[in-house]
Amino acid sequence: MTHPTKPTAPLLSVRGLTKDFQVGTVFSRRRVRAVNDVSFDLPAGRITALVGESGSGKSTIARCLARLEQPTSGEVLLDGEDVLRTQRRRASRAYRSKVQMVFQDPFGSLNPVHRIEHFLTRALVLHGHSATHEALCELLTTVGLTEDMLQSYPHELSGGQRQRVAIARALAVEPSLILADEPTSMLDVSVRVGVLNLMRRLRDERDIAMLYITHDLGSARYLADTTMVMFAGELVEGGDALAVMDAPAHPYTRLLLSAVPDPERAGSYDPVERARLREAILNPTSCPYGDDGTCSRTEPVRHIVGEASEARWGSPRPEAGGGQPHWVRCHLRAPASDIARRVLKATDRTDGEATDATEKAETTAA
Amino acid sequence: MEPVLEVRDLRVEYGGDGRTVVGADSVSFEIGSGEIFGLAGESGCGKSTIANAVMRLLKPPAEITAGSIRFDGGDVLALDARELRAFRWRQIAMVFQSAMNSLNPVLTIGEQIVDIFTTHEKLKKRAAREKAGALLELVGMDPGRLKAYPHQLSGGMRQRVVIAMAVALRPRLLIMDEPTTALDVVVQQEIMAQIRDLQRELGFSILFITHDMSLMVELSDRMGVMYGGRIVELADAKDLFAKPLHPYTEALMNAFPPLTGPRRELTGLFDAPRTADSCGFHVRCPEDRSDCSMNIPDLREVAPDRWVARSAARSPEGATR
Repeated sequence: MTHPTKPTAPLLSVRGLTKDFQVGTVFSRRRVRAVNDVSFDLPAGRITALVGESGSGKSTIARCLARLEQPTSGEVLLDGEDVLRTQRRRASRAYRSKVQMVFQDPFGSLNPVHRIEHFLTRALVLHGHSATHEALCELLTTVGLTEDMLQSYPHELSGGQRQRVAIARALAVEPSLILADEPTSMLDVSVRVGVLNLMRRLRDERDIAMLYITHDLGSARYLADTTMVMFAGELVEGGDALAVMDAPAHPYTRLLLSAVPDPERAGSYDPVERARLREAILNPTSCPYGDDGTCSRTEPVRHIVGEASEARWGSPRPEAGGGQPHWVRCHLRAPASDIARRVLKATDRTDGEATDATEKAETTAA
Repeated sequence: MEPVLEVRDLRVEYGGDGRTVVGADSVSFEIGSGEIFGLAGESGCGKSTIANAVMRLLKPPAEITAGSIRFDGGDVLALDARELRAFRWRQIAMVFQSAMNSLNPVLTIGEQIVDIFTTHEKLKKRAAREKAGALLELVGMDPGRLKAYPHQLSGGMRQRVVIAMAVALRPRLLIMDEPTTALDVVVQQEIMAQIRDLQRELGFSILFITHDMSLMVELSDRMGVMYGGRIVELADAKDLFAKPLHPYTEALMNAFPPLTGPRRELTGLFDAPRTADSCGFHVRCPEDRSDCSMNIPDLREVAPDRWVARSAARSPEGATR
């Protein structure tokens, strides 16, 4: 397999992706915009993490890319072809053989009445590969399972083993991109790191690009080359995974980071600071990156705050190209207020009085 | 000071057809008044078994075969059915794993909270409703939410309701079994702050169970690390995190990618089951543990209030090291 050393065209590009959902009954129908005008590139052979809270729209993006949801508008370019135009209704088999998905719940994604052999055979045959015993064994070995598991039923395997089967099934079609939606959040601690390491090995050995969706910032920092932060249906920051985590430029990224328990970081839970960050997200007044004069309250302007990283970390072939500079969305652009408040105040009351209650609770916690 | 809860040499066995699995073995710890004590470990290490044993919730085939559990000086294992009914919830309350799904979907939050007061405190409906409202305010929710059904609340709010219900009768000890596992980080942080608040206000003790070492160190005063049904290390939470003495403790800490410091390859934990002739972990143990590979040794006090399950020869101050 040859590998480009120079940055080349991305494997998959998303432009202006928007997804609305209709909610409510016939009498009170409303639209909720889950994803609003999202654009990003997924370079070949790199792991891109998409982080954010529950309800920020991460999974909707993955489901749109997997063509399980029909986006309201936008373009999804795979090898330069806008698949939403050319394959209007559903994805072609050619698309599916390039883009595969691994779901959160390995208990729900494997049909309990079939043996492991069935899942892998079906994936191979449907995509025109021959399902020889050797091919099946090779798949299992790749994901760190043994061939005697071919005859097992899903209930005989542990959560970690099942998730490996799900990954093997995705690998069967030799995809160039795997969409992994919270692949480790339902697994026990003892096997999580194993699955993360497997994903990185697949990147190194098979040049598979991954979109790793998670709310576990530690694992995003550990696994990803590039990280994008999502808030209220929009991307607010992106760039080299270490840069984003170590020098977060958007208040929402800081808010997320400050919520992660980390005993080594002194004063990690500062309620006053958190209240200030919430305020900066919901009612922005200034942008610290306004020197280039492009600040805008209405357009999602991206300020560049750091260099692009070309390195692919922890790989025997670190040069992969496709690195993004560290960018942050202009602080002045306030998020669509209803979604933002719903996301930020998920635990509080639905209306305005919520703010002081939380802040009071936080202040007393200090 | 007299501890609130004292567990001594507890052994729990799960009997099956012809074979017995040890769920917990020689587990001893105590929790002082107002203290937050944590139990950490991977799935299947026996943390939840301990919690259920303390609540007397173990059902056959699980059986407590040795040891004692004393609460406020009284023998928990000797309580009969009627005494248990008074003991549970009034003395010790529990927040279960995925507790937010334990609310009854066809009753409003209010009906479920009021039920506690009418059953346990024999209050009239009206008085109970007032207390229920106050209870919701205690966990930072609007009393108007009493009319809501569980599906109308977010996961974090449901978790608050469950916590409010657990502290409704002002128990002396609150057991929390993975209270935030299903929640995302921001909500988790809010719930933890809420718990700390309540604890300070009401002064109960907490037995806190999780696999997340960072979360535990942030909340707990003292903690124990469990592996294969035994406690392998028991110490002040900050000390333990700063300098783990048992290799398993270190492995568990390394199972979580950190948010700071350089990135390095993590190995994770080894998921070999503990059997009669192996602790399972010795295969992955970074040290030569030929003297303990057959079993996990008993806890030894290596410094004041620092207990670790290692044989004397291998302890830090041991002569052969």
